[in-house]
Amino acid sequence: MLNLNSLRFPRFEFPADLAPLRAEVREFLAQELEHYSPLVRSYSWDGIDPEFSRKLGARGWVGMTLPKEYGGHGRSALERYVVVEEVLAAGAPVGYHWVADRQSGPMIARLGTEAQKQTILPAIARGEACFAIGMSEPNSGSDLASVKTRAERVADGWLVNGTKIWTTLAHRANYMIALLRTDSSSDSKHRGLSQFLIDLRAVKGISPRPIRDLTGRGHFNEVSFVDALLPPDALLGNEGEGWKQVMAELAFERSGPERYLSCFVLLTQLIDVLKGRASATALAKIGAEVAWAASLRNMSLSVAGMLNAGLDPSLQASVVKDLGCHFEQRLPGLAQELVALEPALAGSGVDYQQVLGNLIQLAPSFSLRGGTLEILRGIIARGLGVR
Amino acid sequence: MNEAQTILDDSLSRFFADSIDREYLTRLEEISWDDALWSRCIEQGLGLVLVSETQGGMGGSWLEAFIVARACGRYAVPLPIPEQILAGWLTETAGLAPRAGVAGILPEVIATAAVAGDRATFTAERVPWGRHAEHFIGLTTDSELVVLDRANTKAITEANLAREPRDKISFEATPILARAKVALPASGVRWLGALLRSAQIAGAATACLELSVKYTSEREQFGRALSQFQAIQQQLAELAGAMASVDTIAMAACLALDERGLASAGRDAKFEIASAKCRASEAVEPITRISHQVHGAIGFTYEYDLQFLTRRLWSWRAEFGANGEWGEYLGQVALQEGGDNLWRYLTA
Repeated sequence: MLNLNSLRFPRFEFPADLAPLRAEVREFLAQELEHYSPLVRSYSWDGIDPEFSRKLGARGWVGMTLPKEYGGHGRSALERYVVVEEVLAAGAPVGYHWVADRQSGPMIARLGTEAQKQTILPAIARGEACFAIGMSEPNSGSDLASVKTRAERVADGWLVNGTKIWTTLAHRANYMIALLRTDSSSDSKHRGLSQFLIDLRAVKGISPRPIRDLTGRGHFNEVSFVDALLPPDALLGNEGEGWKQVMAELAFERSGPERYLSCFVLLTQLIDVLKGRASATALAKIGAEVAWAASLRNMSLSVAGMLNAGLDPSLQASVVKDLGCHFEQRLPGLAQELVALEPALAGSGVDYQQVLGNLIQLAPSFSLRGGTLEILRGIIARGLGVR
Repeated sequence: MNEAQTILDDSLSRFFADSIDREYLTRLEEISWDDALWSRCIEQGLGLVLVSETQGGMGGSWLEAFIVARACGRYAVPLPIPEQILAGWLTETAGLAPRAGVAGILPEVIATAAVAGDRATFTAERVPWGRHAEHFIGLTTDSELVVLDRANTKAITEANLAREPRDKISFEATPILARAKVALPASGVRWLGALLRSAQIAGAATACLELSVKYTSEREQFGRALSQFQAIQQQLAELAGAMASVDTIAMAACLALDERGLASAGRDAKFEIASAKCRASEAVEPITRISHQVHGAIGFTYEYDLQFLTRRLWSWRAEFGANGEWGEYLGQVALQEGGDNLWRYLTA
């Protein structure tokens, strides 16, 4: 039976006392990003700049919700939301700390041992920790529960063998949180999975091999584990509960504003290029996307508000990600329809052409990473009660 | 929505669900008016949602108006309740006394010259339920609200695709019953009509989703329910997203109107209203396409409920401006603000 309430997005208004924070972040970004080209800004959360991440951390804007006793700032999820939407809309290079801030940090704070929290959370809050997510494998993509990389309990820890793939930033990250099989005998493939927190610099036998994506850049990797010995305390959370933990982790991925804001630079560039030469049809098409942006922001805010109120807006979050994804994937095509300038590689053409060239190529990944659109829509269908 | 608004929403759902079914809608398309249901709606104060309590109204905000208009859309209510709500608000905003009886809303701006003196002479197009109106309300190019008598008018009956009356009304030296300057743009009726139609589209879209989920869950082919097929599930997910986006932005526009009005010197509710109607009208295409696709042939018949909704959606998409017109306005706003200021504008 369809529950309409799970598809409603109650209006959420930011508390007025968050306005100063927004102003501070804007001022900081205006200064820090002054010399970043539009192209670099269009890398968005693929933009890697450890120096920027460190500066953001120094302002207290990374790991904001982590407890103070672990170097965090004990601030609300809403305060973090303000910072995140501002950095994304500005196209700040948040890639270095992105995963740690969004999902790894909160997960460690929730599930980690005291030692794990003390060692890692302060580094995350300083913006100095870069995390990779070891989920997909060569033969396990959308069917994530079929992962085969094994972690075998041995006398002095866990012995890991297997291969992870599409692991973003594994070649630069300090840590990886990996989903590994700890029990192959279990009847259900969902049971027998566990998560591990791996210090990539301390453990031997882990080799990332960068895979160039279609843009020619190498941000993701195939990571092979050959008799990699993890210390006994590398287990994150409980043995055998990896699936449940991963599902909760992926919910973090779906709930933020990133799914409609990573192409925002293209929309702003397109608007500027059209200025003074837009036909009525072009205005109408741009306007329709602006209406989408307004709708998506209201929806995304609503999800943030529901989370803040302790509700479970998982269906609404999936809907926002689905719609946001289509919004972002439409923009490059629309830009080419409205403006005759050809997309260009870095170093040629004007800014608009470079941004377009970059985002045309990145767009296919938007509906793949963090779960494909097909999986996402399956989740929505389940929420509608038809699965 | 607060508790009272949730109660209003629930009670409207029960009321309309009990009052309106396929046979009723079929009959109303033939006779075009039902005094009995109209009277019951008026008794409940549905036409006076936005009129203050001291004037005998519900004293509600535009959020309450949204809830009523959305319910009208969801149940395909074949009566001009959103129009009556608008008439009540316009009348009070202009400082005029509330007027009983069915109000005919004139969608287009009236040339000031046509209502010079105490008589009106002009022709108004596409007046919702014009033939049943007991008086007419419109705005002039000088932002003057005029209330026109029913005497000395001629109605040429026309209808939209859902056979809702959309009549051509000729005013031939028609008495002007009242007039007053109002702090609204001359096109105020178009803005507010667009907002109400957006809410109705959100309601009809909700009903399309409900019907589609129900039908595909019950209908079996190849030995299982249609809803078990991934191809159907993906379409239902898309339908749900389209509905939710319209619902959210239409509600946001109503709240913006409550907070900032339509004629403030600074940022008023125009951006949100334009976004709502642009999004709502654009969403009609996927909503109607998917609903019909998953229903198969039965949804294409007059004997099944879906068409009462989809024919309204196709009509409402264009009424008070389609997505092209509102998109053009938004595009102009965006270009005027410039790329660098767009985010600031969206978050203001």
